[in-house]
Amino acid sequence: MKQNIFIIIGAALVTSLSSCWMKSGGNDTGYEYAPDMYYSKGYEPMSQFSDSSKYRYNPYFMTMREPVKGSVAIGQLDYQYPFDNTAEGYEASASLQMPGLTLNEQIEGERLYGIYCAVCHGEKGGNDGTVSSKQATLKPSWANYQDKYVKELPVGKIYHTITYGKNNMGSYASAVTPKDRWAIIAYVKRLSMMDSLGNMPKAVYIESAPVAAAVVADTIKNPEPATPANSSSSTSNHSNHNKH
Amino acid sequence: MVRNRNNYNMQVKSLLVAFLLFLSLNLFAQPSGKPLSAEGAKGESLFKLNCASCHAMNVKLVGPALQNVHQRRSEEWLLKWIKNNEKLRASGDKDAIAVYNENGKAAMNVFENLSDDQIKSIITYFKDWTPAEKKGPVVDPAAPDQGFFSDNTLYILLFLIVILTVVLLILRRTKNQLQTTLNDVEGVTETEASEPTASQSKMAAFKKKSNPTIVKLLVGTVVALCLAVYGYNFGATEIAVQQGYAPEQPIKFSHKIHAGDYKMDCKYCHTTVEKSKQASVPSVNTCMNCHKGVQLRERYDGEISPEIKKIYAAMDYDPDKPNGQQFGPNPKPIKWIRVHNLPDHAFFNHSMHVKGAGLTCQTCHGPVQAMPVVQQFSTLQMGWCINCHRERNIDVENNPYYEKLHEKIKADKNNKNSNYSKYYTKDGKINVTAAQNGALECSKCHY
Repeated sequence: MKQNIFIIIGAALVTSLSSCWMKSGGNDTGYEYAPDMYYSKGYEPMSQFSDSSKYRYNPYFMTMREPVKGSVAIGQLDYQYPFDNTAEGYEASASLQMPGLTLNEQIEGERLYGIYCAVCHGEKGGNDGTVSSKQATLKPSWANYQDKYVKELPVGKIYHTITYGKNNMGSYASAVTPKDRWAIIAYVKRLSMMDSLGNMPKAVYIESAPVAAAVVADTIKNPEPATPANSSSSTSNHSNHNKH
Repeated sequence: MVRNRNNYNMQVKSLLVAFLLFLSLNLFAQPSGKPLSAEGAKGESLFKLNCASCHAMNVKLVGPALQNVHQRRSEEWLLKWIKNNEKLRASGDKDAIAVYNENGKAAMNVFENLSDDQIKSIITYFKDWTPAEKKGPVVDPAAPDQGFFSDNTLYILLFLIVILTVVLLILRRTKNQLQTTLNDVEGVTETEASEPTASQSKMAAFKKKSNPTIVKLLVGTVVALCLAVYGYNFGATEIAVQQGYAPEQPIKFSHKIHAGDYKMDCKYCHTTVEKSKQASVPSVNTCMNCHKGVQLRERYDGEISPEIKKIYAAMDYDPDKPNGQQFGPNPKPIKWIRVHNLPDHAFFNHSMHVKGAGLTCQTCHGPVQAMPVVQQFSTLQMGWCINCHRERNIDVENNPYYEKLHEKIKADKNNKNSNYSKYYTKDGKINVTAAQNGALECSKCHY
């Protein structure tokens, strides 16, 4: 009987301790049974591999690779951007024209503006965003979107700025698709038409016509890569994730 | 380190310090350095009652810090402002409007209920108040919250209890053996050794009555059951469940600052969450949207913040070089450590849940906007998925994603033979769970 008690106490000790060091937390993923089930042999996005023979094709052991130069994402053929990231390109971009946008696309533009632009430019274009009101370096130089400067700014130049960035503003090409950029610009233009009472037109540039001047397929000089040239993609390190 | 799991010393130390601090008078958040006058003390209690939820003396909370406010403003102005700031603003007082605008146009409460004397004693408190001198160890605010019954302490207590029990049993056993030996030596039989006490004789009677095998079996079964339940629970909730996993990332990026304090939308950085299976880790150019300008030099004696330097290193970017030469040729990816990991045999699509079902990120990832270091909030076990699919209704009426389904349901409303008619509740509302729409089919997630 006494022997049994010792065995029981021993077992309880081991199990209670085991739960202590097998639990996940901090840098530790905890105990894993059959880790092959959890960590994929095939490449998964946002992770890393450790096979050094593939390093040549996947630098830094990243599973992601930059697209081949000149490749175009599905559904974006109509939106090749013809201008360079230079002062001349910026001036030339004034010739771009807004494609027609449906009402739904314009509502979507308003939502996207709230995500990507409002942090600095403010919900209503007052340059009083949650970030720019605290960080002076991120405050745009004009007062608000109702400023004459924004009112008269050609849509093409805004498109150029979203694509490449300008001054302290970075490129949003990796975040916002060409179609969404136009939708956002439509909202910016609506904001610039806002009067002092906060009224603005419900929609602008409503057209059912196909995409116009933005399509200059013949004059493509610089096909826009899916990721901007200066961005180095991030990966995650999964190799130290394993605990066998 | 996020969690000092093994650092028991630290824990004991911080507990001790907390206890000492607790003992040594400091019950108030911001005590004055010098003792207050009687009038000031009256003001202090009024301050705590009415003002302290929005104001502190030396830090800006919702409202501005109030240290030396009696020097910035006249007493007359303060009286008017505290009593009814709206009236003062409406009267066109420039200072009042400026204060209002500086503090994000969050209007201060009106305190018509306070008498002039009461407000004056609050102002006396402002005058009396001096910052407390820093002395002795201060509990590091960055140290994780460690209650008395944090995991470690509990385990150590359990461990001690078990060890002590074992020691006790060994001692008892030794004593019994010694007694037996003694008895043998003295040639005394057990019955003669000692008069049995009442309880001992009861015990003996019980032992005689009960069959020893059955008792052993019973005890064994109970213990085995306990262990089995424990083992099952352990296997189901611990093995390969990485809830709470919070790895230290190569850059100390704080979601609390970015998503919490600055209220940036999750999608600002995780751009693909509505378009793809993955909610991507942003590329470094997303960081640079802001950190090209935000370098926090004011906090590091003119140097760039060490963490922001890591972003620049990844970009091979040098802000001190002239324009055009700032970006070098050797960008290097940041080795972020993945926190949430699903096994290969389970399919999960972010866009389906965020765009299709309209879930917020926090539903699964928890209050990330409050996490300085991201940790896995949910278990990510299959039961957890299934549970949500069973319970959650899909919004067929307002979500364009379910437009076709909605039309079918509406068309079949009065057709008793159709499955769709069953989606109507008795009061004529549509009630469809994700499970009813096929979200429990195996091949939806495993293929």
